[in-house]
Amino acid sequence: MHKVAIIKFPGTNCDEDVLWVTKYVVGLDANIVWYKDFSLNTWDAIIIPGGFSFGDWLRAGAIAARTRAIEELSKVLDYGIPVLGICNGFQVLVEAGLLPGALLPNESGKFICRWVRVKVERPRGPWLRLVNDGDVLDMPIAHAEGRYYVDEDTYNSLVVKSPLLRYVNGYNFNGSSYDIAGVATLDGLVLGLMPHPERASEDVMAPKGFKANGKVIFESLARSLKEGW
Amino acid sequence: MPLSSGEIESIKRILGRDPRPEELAMFEAQWSEHCSYKSSRKLLKLLPTKNDYVILGPGRDAPAVEVFPGISVVFKIESHNHPSAVDPYNGAATGIGGIVRDILTLGAKPIALLDLLYLGNPSNSHANWLIRGIVKGISDYGNRIGVPTVAGDTWFDDIFNKQPLVNVACVGIASNNKLVLEGPKPGDAIVIIGNATGRDGILGSSFASKPLSEDTDKEIGAVQVGDPLTEKVLIDVLQELTSKSLVKYIKDLGGGGLTTAVSESAADYGLGATIHLNKLHLREQLTPLEMLISESQERMLLAVEPKKLSEVINILNRYDLTYSIIGHFDDSGRVRVYYKGKLVADVPAKELARPQALRRDSRPPQEALKGLTPIVRLPKVDLGDAIVKLISSPNIASKRWIYEQYDHEVGIRTVIKPGHGDAAVLRILDDSRRGIAVKGDANPRYTSLDPFNGAANSVAECFRNLVSVNSTPLAIVDELNAGNPEKPEQFWYFEEMVKGIAWMSSELGLPVVGGKVSFYNEDEKGRQIKPTATIVGIGRVDDISKSTGLALNETNNYIAVVGITYPELGGSEYLYRVHGLELGEIPRPRPASEIRHAEFIKHLVSRGIAVSVHDVSIGGLVIAAIEMAIAGGLGIELHVDRIPTRGTERIDEVLFSETQARYIVEIKASRVTEFKELTREYGIESNVIGKVLSKEVIVITNGNEDITTLGLPDIANLYNNSLKKLMEW
Repeated sequence: MHKVAIIKFPGTNCDEDVLWVTKYVVGLDANIVWYKDFSLNTWDAIIIPGGFSFGDWLRAGAIAARTRAIEELSKVLDYGIPVLGICNGFQVLVEAGLLPGALLPNESGKFICRWVRVKVERPRGPWLRLVNDGDVLDMPIAHAEGRYYVDEDTYNSLVVKSPLLRYVNGYNFNGSSYDIAGVATLDGLVLGLMPHPERASEDVMAPKGFKANGKVIFESLARSLKEGW
Repeated sequence: MPLSSGEIESIKRILGRDPRPEELAMFEAQWSEHCSYKSSRKLLKLLPTKNDYVILGPGRDAPAVEVFPGISVVFKIESHNHPSAVDPYNGAATGIGGIVRDILTLGAKPIALLDLLYLGNPSNSHANWLIRGIVKGISDYGNRIGVPTVAGDTWFDDIFNKQPLVNVACVGIASNNKLVLEGPKPGDAIVIIGNATGRDGILGSSFASKPLSEDTDKEIGAVQVGDPLTEKVLIDVLQELTSKSLVKYIKDLGGGGLTTAVSESAADYGLGATIHLNKLHLREQLTPLEMLISESQERMLLAVEPKKLSEVINILNRYDLTYSIIGHFDDSGRVRVYYKGKLVADVPAKELARPQALRRDSRPPQEALKGLTPIVRLPKVDLGDAIVKLISSPNIASKRWIYEQYDHEVGIRTVIKPGHGDAAVLRILDDSRRGIAVKGDANPRYTSLDPFNGAANSVAECFRNLVSVNSTPLAIVDELNAGNPEKPEQFWYFEEMVKGIAWMSSELGLPVVGGKVSFYNEDEKGRQIKPTATIVGIGRVDDISKSTGLALNETNNYIAVVGITYPELGGSEYLYRVHGLELGEIPRPRPASEIRHAEFIKHLVSRGIAVSVHDVSIGGLVIAAIEMAIAGGLGIELHVDRIPTRGTERIDEVLFSETQARYIVEIKASRVTEFKELTREYGIESNVIGKVLSKEVIVITNGNEDITTLGLPDIANLYNNSLKKLMEW
């Protein structure tokens, strides 16, 4: 059975939610791994869940990105292990330089918890295998530092060539540039996104007017681990 | 409040000598109103606390109620009024921290927070600053510890401009066999885990037990500072310790700090304790006296059997959680405190923990007559304008400006989210569809006009909110925010509120399993701010997929009202917002109707006849119906002449009366005949009063007369954005 690691730092708070979905909703073998105990070689996929690792001291994700666990993680590209960063996990991946750009405080200066719609462009790789180009996914956001920023050069040379998640018109509540909600490496092996797919993986969790579309990300992983991507 | 001369005399009698300074400080902390309930204890005995599903009633840090066989909910409410008035951000944040730790003491996993905020006028700059700080404090702390803030209650009133009421509640869940219900035994080690002790919150509970001084900035040292990261680690560590049954007893170091934690745990189990202060981990150099009464946050006391100590320490080290083993429990019945080998305090635990209860005088004040003033010659107003004023009132308008700053989804349990129903519904998250409902309510205007009936109405409203989402109400906790207990004319309000809660909760069969009292909520001139009885209730949900929200679902469905409308405009939002009056007899509590109507609603929902439900509360019937229209994005027509009434003479009485025990329900178009039959069968005063429209309008008629027609998008915009507009200027 393929094994998924869910890395937990002090202050991580979505680890159990991601475990629930990967294990009981999608049926993968998954474990929460304390960051001090993490090593790369035993896992088939890695998820860095949301929360406030190390209390968001300095900047969101900044301290976690400098732990041995995440330094180890920079080898994934060589090993071909899929990595997903959700919310604070996305912030960690960006801080670690595994994904381009930066995540700044929301334009409103406030924490925002709302359901949004994101459109997927150029779906590739293990996390978006079952998604079609242009599909719109409903999921909630919950963050204070989710305003994605990327300079124009990087945007044109890298981001628009890679798989991308963009807030649908009217749902960019944090002021992200280019409406970006999530970015990936060119091959889609590493994906980071601000919305929480684990909170949108069961129908009962979707409020009126929205669908629980986050499940497809975990289903994509399950299929990819079985059949490749 | 500093100790009275009488209290100092009794301390001398207890000790048989003059107290040392450390001992005096311990008594001051522990005998404060906040920790000892000395003024309230006699009256609180009136509350019904038992029921066959109550596993643990009042007395410990939190109560436990069995919601499903083998599964208990642990929930509790607390106030942080005084600290929030001085430092709104840290005051509110540490309120969350404290209530979460209360839940942790029973080994439960915290799964939801509620915030019940009685705030000043957002147009007042000081009040605005307080509101922003309070909301941000809750947001930053609650979000960081990964416990969703799922519901609450909010009220805005000038009386709270300088002294807001910040009540917070936490709900936890545990398997019965993991609940930590055992007590400490002689020989058990006393381990303090979490933050290092520092010079913050010195005598904070004493500060909360007297009126605020005029210059609140001078009291900043009594406010604690929060550290949510440590709190989150405490949650994780305690989950692990309790799942492995490694601790026998857990206690929060909250109000009264180390003194309260040690003396109460010893006294409750007939034990004594020996502690060595020089072993306590510190943030800065402190005197023994400061160590005893500091209220530094995120600290907890564990009682650990000596043979399990090494396993506990391994877990603490793994999570990098700091700790110190400061002593042990013994059978001496005394709390003995040493510092570097020298005895600094030696007091009997029982006498320290439980001061004599006081009998306070109570007398109704002159101003209580406002609650009896008849409402005469109310000028006629344009009803459309009145609706607009009410929908834009911050007490009625959407609270999304607040709840969108809270993570209400973390934990993936929140099935009915803020704004979607009368109560929050959370799933248990096992392989079943079971869940719980939670909601909190108060109405400061009601309780200030008529504390007995006002408090009873808060219980009833909480009950209705739980019924609306198709849950079975099980139990409540209460927070009584009152004035100065030493002033009989203020204490009267407290007494009446307790009696009102006792009456209504007995009538509705809801045990009051726990609660908290906050006295000395006075302004700088010694006037009490509106006394407020906040009720938080939980209900059992057998199937979360059958929970009902308040949003209308489908065009052509019918809108019906359950319950008679009486001319009860006294204390209403309409009377205040539209006529500027705060007086009159408030709506009468109607417990018998509450019970009958709840059964009827349950029946309508379980048979699929009613598809959305909303209780009628402030603003009255028409506002409740409009809220359902806004939530569903669907227009409605309402026929005032079809509303069952008794004694009403004016249309505004029908539209805006806040008569209790009423609901608005959306009836499936195909089931309306069944609905009418059931109404007769149950003998319920109920009627179809309107319809869901395909057009986005709100049309209100009275017979052939058109009363008003309002565009739904405009009304929705006012409802959704009024609070934001009032806050951000």
